[in-house]
Amino acid sequence: MSERAGLIRRVLLGVAAAILTVVMVMPLTSTETAQSWGLPLMTDKLWFRVATTVAMFVVLSSAWNIIGGMTGYAAFGNVAFFGVGAYSTAFLVANLHVPFAIALLAAPGVAALFAIAIGLPLLRLRGHYFAIATLGVSVAVAEVVNNVEPLGGSNGIFLPIVRSDLLFFYLMAATAILAVAVSWLVLRTRFGYGLLAIRENEEAAAVIGINTTFYKVSAFALAAALTGLAGGVFAQWNVFINAENVFPVDYNVQMILMAVLGGSGTALGPVIGAVTLEALIQAFASGGEFAVWSQVGLGILLATTVIFVPRGILDFFGGQSRLTVQYLRNSLRRTGV
Amino acid sequence: MSTQLALAGVTKNFGGVAALSDVSFDVQAGEILGLIGPNGAGKTTLLNCISGVYRLDAGTITLADQELQGRPAFQIARLGIGRTFQVVKPFPSMTVRQNAAMGAMFGREGKRTPPKQAMEEADAVLADIGLGKRADVLVTSLTIPERKRLEVARALAMRPIVLLLDEVMAGLTPNEVDEALEVIREVNGRGVTIVLIEHVMRVVVGVCQRAVVLHQGRVLVQGATAEVLEDDRVIEAYLGERYAKAHRRG
Repeated sequence: MSERAGLIRRVLLGVAAAILTVVMVMPLTSTETAQSWGLPLMTDKLWFRVATTVAMFVVLSSAWNIIGGMTGYAAFGNVAFFGVGAYSTAFLVANLHVPFAIALLAAPGVAALFAIAIGLPLLRLRGHYFAIATLGVSVAVAEVVNNVEPLGGSNGIFLPIVRSDLLFFYLMAATAILAVAVSWLVLRTRFGYGLLAIRENEEAAAVIGINTTFYKVSAFALAAALTGLAGGVFAQWNVFINAENVFPVDYNVQMILMAVLGGSGTALGPVIGAVTLEALIQAFASGGEFAVWSQVGLGILLATTVIFVPRGILDFFGGQSRLTVQYLRNSLRRTGV
Repeated sequence: MSTQLALAGVTKNFGGVAALSDVSFDVQAGEILGLIGPNGAGKTTLLNCISGVYRLDAGTITLADQELQGRPAFQIARLGIGRTFQVVKPFPSMTVRQNAAMGAMFGREGKRTPPKQAMEEADAVLADIGLGKRADVLVTSLTIPERKRLEVARALAMRPIVLLLDEVMAGLTPNEVDEALEVIREVNGRGVTIVLIEHVMRVVVGVCQRAVVLHQGRVLVQGATAEVLEDDRVIEAYLGERYAKAHRRG
């Protein structure tokens, strides 16, 4: 069984690596050099928009996974870090004329500091209380930003235009690879074991010597830094930001759904979830009048995933489970429905 | 013998209820001390106070020359207090080996133990405690007695100076109790001081040199185990006044 699972996992990783390589090379066909060689153009505006968005959600769901999946704290307001990162970069670029490359570095820093500040009081809460409190913070921050004049108030901030689909795709993809690499690394270190212990039993974690406050706040700050970095890239990519486009509440739902769908607590689960779900969302969006139903669809998907596939779809590929009627029945029984 | 753990005037209230009032006793280095008393006497509360799960309202707890009261639980653990829980608290998604390794990884002062080394040390502890063959299975497939052993293994992997055991024998068959007694004697033989809460009197008589009896949050009697168990006040606390009188006449 475990040998077979290992084989499946290796094949899966091989296929994923192949797809990733193709996706990473495809955009290069849009360069002038490639075109002058007469290579077929494999990407267009839409391709870049979708691919960069997918990469962005890989970052968001992987980052959420660190606090939500590994540490077990159901953060429901991580979009706050995305917005804080976006505003940090945008403010530096637009108002202080700092070069984008340097302004981008401020995004993870400010987001992490913000996470530490709110994490110290909020991470004392558990379960629903923590979820509601973080959701409240994300809504509150958006309101504050909307009313602070130096941040553009309700007019938002315009950044100097940088026209390069290629640059933003690779920048977001690099951020995504960083987020996945960080997750992979965390799960193999003492730090990661500490987070898992807190998720499984916080009291037991404390009495075997884990500084639970420090670990929780660090996980929250790490998640915030990655989320903030994605926000910083987004700000320059999108050129215009305001409270609406960098603090959308539905991002909170989406990043959680992606991680849970793919397999929360694992390094690759959020990636699989983000790619799968974003594909579904794009399909919904192109469905004309069906687009209205996409929110309903997402809600139903979240509910069914949590009930029937609590460990995510990654678990069927070289994990411990096989997709059978019995598996679904057991999952249903465990939720106590 | 020298004092390893000293409790002086330990007091803990929950709202208006005094769970522990002015509890004072010493634990000698290398001994096995029994902490007994009827249900609700405050035994588990006392363990929670020592291990830092609860904060004291008054009093001091001293390990060697370090004061423990007011410190967070993780620091107390690293200073050398290992404990088990009455209702076991394993990390369910981890294997038996990983569970035990957590103690080695985090529960020691100073040098950090990396995961790989902690896993190796966990194997050694699990072998000692008779769980060696179960190292690779998930905790969820362990029996209750095995889970209790795992609690002890995880605490032992911390290399504690004092080990606090909260009813590790409850629910075990007589054979399993004998095995567990062996484990406790062995651990103690390596120089670990043990404080154990126990309702199974055979265990208390079997391994504890001394016993402290708690009753309604106060120390009722303390001393050599045999004498303590013969004390009329103890019999009365456990069995009620009428039985105690009958016992005296008989």
